[in-house]
Amino acid sequence: MTVLRLLWRHRSLVMVLVRRELDARYRASFLGFFWSLLNPLLLLAVYAVVFTYIFSPRFPGADPYPLFLFSGLLPWLFFSGAVLDGSLTLVDNGPLLAKVMCPPEIFPAVTVISHLINHLLALPILLAAMVVSAVAGLHPFPWTFWMVPLALIPWILTTGGAVLAISVVSVHYRDMRDLVGHLLNLLFFASPIIYSLDGLQVPAVLHRLLALNPLASLVAVYREVVFTGRVPSPMTWLMAFIVGIVSWWLGTRVFLRYRETVVEAV
Amino acid sequence: MKSSIRFEAVRKIYRWRGRRNRHETLKGALFHRRLRSRRRSAEEHIALDGIDLEVDPGEAVAVIGPNGSGKSTFLKLAGGILQPTEGTVEVDGRVTALIELGAGFHPEITGRENVLINGMLLGLERREIESKMPEILEFADIGAFIDEPVKIYSSGMYVRLGFAVAVAADPDVLLIDEVLAVGDEAFTRRCHDRLARMRQRGVTMVLVSHDLDMVTSFADRAFYLERGRVVAEGPTDAVVARYRSDVAGDEGGGESEASEVNAAEADRRWGNGDVEIVNVELVADTTPLRIVPNGSPCRLRIRYKVRRPVEDFVFGIAWHRADGAQVSGHNTDLAGLVPRRLAADGEISCVYDSLQLAPGDYLVDVAVHARDGLAYDYWREVLRVRVTSAEAWPGVWAPPHRWESSEPVWDD
Repeated sequence: MTVLRLLWRHRSLVMVLVRRELDARYRASFLGFFWSLLNPLLLLAVYAVVFTYIFSPRFPGADPYPLFLFSGLLPWLFFSGAVLDGSLTLVDNGPLLAKVMCPPEIFPAVTVISHLINHLLALPILLAAMVVSAVAGLHPFPWTFWMVPLALIPWILTTGGAVLAISVVSVHYRDMRDLVGHLLNLLFFASPIIYSLDGLQVPAVLHRLLALNPLASLVAVYREVVFTGRVPSPMTWLMAFIVGIVSWWLGTRVFLRYRETVVEAV
Repeated sequence: MKSSIRFEAVRKIYRWRGRRNRHETLKGALFHRRLRSRRRSAEEHIALDGIDLEVDPGEAVAVIGPNGSGKSTFLKLAGGILQPTEGTVEVDGRVTALIELGAGFHPEITGRENVLINGMLLGLERREIESKMPEILEFADIGAFIDEPVKIYSSGMYVRLGFAVAVAADPDVLLIDEVLAVGDEAFTRRCHDRLARMRQRGVTMVLVSHDLDMVTSFADRAFYLERGRVVAEGPTDAVVARYRSDVAGDEGGGESEASEVNAAEADRRWGNGDVEIVNVELVADTTPLRIVPNGSPCRLRIRYKVRRPVEDFVFGIAWHRADGAQVSGHNTDLAGLVPRRLAADGEISCVYDSLQLAPGDYLVDVAVHARDGLAYDYWREVLRVRVTSAEAWPGVWAPPHRWESSEPVWDD
């Protein structure tokens, strides 16, 4: 709660820094802000070609596969992108922290928010793809799409918690940065993003282990809403929110524990 | 009166968490907890060790001392950038730290956007910054570059813009760390002038510098830090002299210099002591100053003590430049004041509606003497004053002025 209160007090600063982040990313590029739309579109186009013509995995309820993959990948890209940037955000802003007074929590917040905005900009592409495939008769239109803000809440909480914790820990332990990349890679394949748990042909032990992955419920909620077109079961919702709240709670605790010494360590 | 900055029993200890042994970091934290705690003392550095001090509102103090004595740590604690390990630090009002000018600038975005962000980091509202933008642009003097990305700026432009934003934040407390050592001569001059004007407005200032001349001209009081402790505190001249003799002492032969100082003091003061000058200050409003922006109203205040009542007395002031050139001299006799009787201690001020001196260093002599010239107390070079101005005017006289011409020959 303390973190949220501090962030609220500096909300205008956070918003200005988010703008800076987004501006700086597309500065001096010809298409500028259109890249936010173009990136997911090109990604989808590549997947559509590869997974339709070159190699088409079969999972129950995962048809058409490119859309199935895309709907799992989008929230993951938000999460992993924010976590990866989060491991650098305090170090990169070291001069601001050490030379100007400014509260360290704004930087993880800026990281999460700017990745969230990029995610929101990709949503129209996802929606358009769903409409197109519904019109083409490939897949029924997911009428639950409007619930996407609700499905994003556990994602935002989880990402927020993870970024808060990783930002301070990687200031104190520089080896975190290398570790984060590998952990994300592992987590990616341990989460039902490129596959679905239902049709997975693996040993029962591994299957149970994969189901225990906290991100599984988050992926499930998001994908059921934007792709399958089914309202997730109360149990799935509950799991997703518990994961989100626990992650946020842990993240803020770690953050506050290391907050005071951030300036000395950067 | 509530103090502006208050340190109470402040200690600051840095604990090295693998900064020296980078590869030992995470592993060390996970597996070697006990080992680490046993070795703790070796990995600690005590930067400040029991600092107690107060700075009054509107005061300008300097912190001097050798490298590694804890000056920068002191400044960062006062700025709220670091937290004390023990003790309390209280600072009243808005604080701005001039630690590294333009430190927060992002190279990819324009100067204008950076000004906005830096201003907000310093605690200004968006609207406040926008209304101050013209003032900031004028001071920074970078013209059309303001709408270009900061990465193409020269280092001078960078620093000017950084300074302009920092001082525009209108702080109650300004912390200055060596920053004025950077930049060209014109920039340094304008910075000094700006700081002097802020000082006059009652901004509390803490200066950390190795430039002892700057310290002497700027601060009323100084703290001398050594290995994290205050070893001397008091009027700047005395503390700086102590520091100088310590530094000289380290190099051998400090003793003789100290006696030379005393001899020099005796050389600069004479009289029979019937009336004694206690102290002389240049005051604006109520703040004593050693650095004055040109054109500002001020008064030279002389406190005196009467040992034997006198009926024949003249108070006089002489200004001259550091090179000895006479600038001005005035006394109560020339002003037509007829002495009656001086029997009790008191103070007398010479009031200047506007100090129209060109920028530079000035020395002031003050005397009280009989009309025939018999000195009661004659004190040469009792005060050193630095006058600042945004422009480098030659000479000694810098009156407010304007130009008028019969033809419209000027480009607006």
